[in-house]
Amino acid sequence: MTALATALHGGWLSISSGRLGFARYYTYLGLITGLSILYYFGTSDYGGSATQAQLFLWGGVGAGAGLLGSLALAAIQPARADSKVAKMFLPWLDGAVLMLLLTGVWILMSPGAAAVSYEDQSLLFSPKVVTAMYVFYFLSGILYITYLFAPESVVGRMGTSTAWVAVYLGGSALLLRWYESYMIDPEIGHAPVSNLFEVFVLLFAIASIVYLCLERRFNARALGSFVMPMICGGIFFAIWLQGGGHGEIKPLVPALQSYWMKIHVPLNFVGYGAFGVACGAGLLYLFREKLERGGSKARLLSAMPTLEQTDDLIYYAVIIGYPAFTLATILGAAWAAEAWGGYWSWDPKETWALIVWLVYGAFLHVRISHGWRGRPLALWAVAGFVVTLFCFVGVNMYLSGLHSYGSL
Amino acid sequence: MNAAVFKLKPLFDRLGAMNLAIVILIVLAIASMIGTVLKQSQEMSGYYEQFGALWFWVINVLGLFDMYHAWWFTGLLVFLTMSLSVCLWRNSPGMIKEILAKHSVINERALKRIQHRQHWQLNLAVADGVEKSKELLKDWTLNVQEHKGRTFIRADKGRYNKTSYIFVHASILIILIGGLVGVQYGFRGNLAVPEGGVGDTISFLKGGASATHQLPFEVRCNDFFIDFYASGMPKEFRSNLTIIDDGKEVLTQDIIVNEPLEYKGVRLYQASFGDAGSDLKLKFYHLDGSGRIEDVPAKVYGTLGDGSGLNIEVTDLKVFNVENFAEEGQAKEFIDIGPAVEYVLRGPGLTPVMVKAFSQPFINTVDDRNMGHFFMISFSGQERDYQSFPIGFDLTSPEEWALFNAFRNNLALPIQPGKTDQDHNFDAFAAALDEVYGDDKPDNIPELGTRIQQATMTLRDVPWPFLVLLDDFDQHYYTGLQATNDPGMNTVWIGSTILVIGLCFMFYMPHRRLWLVFSPADKGAEVTFAGVCNRGHMGFDQEFSRLRASFTQVLDIDQEGQHKEVTS
Repeated sequence: MTALATALHGGWLSISSGRLGFARYYTYLGLITGLSILYYFGTSDYGGSATQAQLFLWGGVGAGAGLLGSLALAAIQPARADSKVAKMFLPWLDGAVLMLLLTGVWILMSPGAAAVSYEDQSLLFSPKVVTAMYVFYFLSGILYITYLFAPESVVGRMGTSTAWVAVYLGGSALLLRWYESYMIDPEIGHAPVSNLFEVFVLLFAIASIVYLCLERRFNARALGSFVMPMICGGIFFAIWLQGGGHGEIKPLVPALQSYWMKIHVPLNFVGYGAFGVACGAGLLYLFREKLERGGSKARLLSAMPTLEQTDDLIYYAVIIGYPAFTLATILGAAWAAEAWGGYWSWDPKETWALIVWLVYGAFLHVRISHGWRGRPLALWAVAGFVVTLFCFVGVNMYLSGLHSYGSL
Repeated sequence: MNAAVFKLKPLFDRLGAMNLAIVILIVLAIASMIGTVLKQSQEMSGYYEQFGALWFWVINVLGLFDMYHAWWFTGLLVFLTMSLSVCLWRNSPGMIKEILAKHSVINERALKRIQHRQHWQLNLAVADGVEKSKELLKDWTLNVQEHKGRTFIRADKGRYNKTSYIFVHASILIILIGGLVGVQYGFRGNLAVPEGGVGDTISFLKGGASATHQLPFEVRCNDFFIDFYASGMPKEFRSNLTIIDDGKEVLTQDIIVNEPLEYKGVRLYQASFGDAGSDLKLKFYHLDGSGRIEDVPAKVYGTLGDGSGLNIEVTDLKVFNVENFAEEGQAKEFIDIGPAVEYVLRGPGLTPVMVKAFSQPFINTVDDRNMGHFFMISFSGQERDYQSFPIGFDLTSPEEWALFNAFRNNLALPIQPGKTDQDHNFDAFAAALDEVYGDDKPDNIPELGTRIQQATMTLRDVPWPFLVLLDDFDQHYYTGLQATNDPGMNTVWIGSTILVIGLCFMFYMPHRRLWLVFSPADKGAEVTFAGVCNRGHMGFDQEFSRLRASFTQVLDIDQEGQHKEVTS
């Protein structure tokens, strides 16, 4: 298995670097450009096969132009093919393509429009994919915890792979749900970020991606032993939501019928997810510190990053989340300015977003300007996430306001 | 003059101190929480009821009922602004100086303090080493200087990172200024315009009291529509508005939620809607045995009295009432049960009772059976206590109404001697049947009997002498518009853009500085390689290790000297 993995990895590297990667990158860019042009300037009254033809035409021309252009460029200036930008974005684009392909597979497997209706959603396929995602998250959580006790064995890598599988299941389940919402009724169709259940699935995926990136970059697998169980805890809440009928596809209330929803909500969850990972890192710090204080020489310690490294991990997670959260809040304000008549209304959700922003802003101040390190910041990261969770779920449960469509 | 400056100096220092900034951030965060827990800008009487006299006074003095506009909250923001300004004023010049400083020379002591450091003996001449290093660091901004026989290479990445400090903090100032301009020179308020009506005055809350503002034009609402999904959820609220400026119709446009219209810098938003006093035709079914049905014209929000002290205040008209009639876990079944009128009954010695009266009888979904009219009634007058109140027969059917009245009248007659209650009941119903139907009796007598019987039992407990049903209506909506003008908004967007770019710059492009200090030695040269990064050590650890590895390959290193000095 290891040999196969190595071979696969080697194969992957060879098609990801050099001209092949460069050409693929520009093919994607061309495809995206072509489809964007169609989206913004095309008329919407083709319908059916004509729309498909348009999609193929614009997407194909864009992708072809990207491919040929990049190949030509690589031939003329071979040095250009070693593009850093391409290398940086290629894994994300490849991942997105894989996610779309997976969604396509689900669409082929799902029972089709005749079997489901708004009134009866019991045969929808996306909840099944979500359930599979739950299973993989639980598996991953168990594997990551086992990893702490057996850092050299294969369980760690298995934990990482199952986490990636869960991410792909979650992401594709959401894309499938998007498709299904249109399948039920084009009038109802909307991006799957409109209620608590949907955003929970999104949160799991984003938090995992943030974590997995940190893991890959800093080889910090022990962090997963804290992040994945946190996600598993969240899953219980998601299951409870489904039990209460919140898992159903519902049409959008007028306030949510805006393109801003697609931008504002996911970006917010980059913030929430990253702050969750920071909390996990904080817990890891506190845990290791406790072990060290007790004079433990446990093997556990060898599996974990040092206190100093963990402290850095907290910081990295926060700086991934903070700009995203700032931008998300600002875009939320822009949406509010368009929908409610003012960019800021001191609505409970807005106010709590501000509180979260202030809490992490203060965190960054004490760390950067005052040189605080270690335990207080670990505690801060944990407390900050409690505040974040209240902003995310608590406000909807306990306070009323303009964001009440996310209520329970 | 000097003395005054001397006194102000400590204050000035304190204002710009970071500690203070953190305290303000935390205090602001905690203060903001209060306003989310305590509902803001509600009716004062409601607060009084909720908190009692003493607490009401305390909370009111602190301005907590509208705390985001209270003097102390504004004061906090002003304090934050001042602190930010002083902080910028004090720190910016030094930072800019530091950014512009290009000297490459670093003294031995400073070099020793650097954590990421490596010392090598090279089998190369200084000049070769410098050349190769420059080649390797071609992505970096390089600055080479010779000083006292040694060659210093300084390489920078993210040199301007420190400007992000200035950008981020200045951007928050800009946002605050934009906000202030909006509060001072803008307005934001609501106006309700009935269909066909014209409005030009918005109202809003200012310091707990209501205030108004005249718009520079008039708005006419030509039409208001609501579109529903099959499940009864609202799908779209749409107002067709005409702007009348100086008596001339200048603009006619539809607005929906998320798509406001803009005229003369004022934006008009679809914010709410309601009934503008629709015309109703109500039917009073008198329960005094006379069988009298009275047509009464009414208006939503109007009050009807009959002189006896009992009065009815009509509160709302709901034309669509979609309910899900499926069992839990089954496929949903949405049915519109028809228009309803809502009213409150008040009378001497009577708790106000809230009633929703549906104008159509309820038809059983399984067998299409007419289950008769029903009401939703809250005897406590609380929204949460509504309960279903089925009458049992169809009030709009003249026969059933007549049968009910005849039965009730017969039942009220004295019981003939020797007869049981049950007999009396039966006789009364039989007589009523004869009275109403004569020889042409319907097929469903037993079922009809049960329903009429049930209605009699139910209505016996009703403490008012009539039933009120909605007969016909002519609905008029008003559209609830929000009108805003915010001259500070673009400033806020500019500040926001700078903020986000500044944050990304601040965090993702840390300032990394490398030094290579070459000095000639017996065999060739000695070089110290050192690097610092202003934030994010783990990332720099990796970058430094990579560079060190590259140098090891490129520079001809004397193996003896390689591990002389180990990095920490």
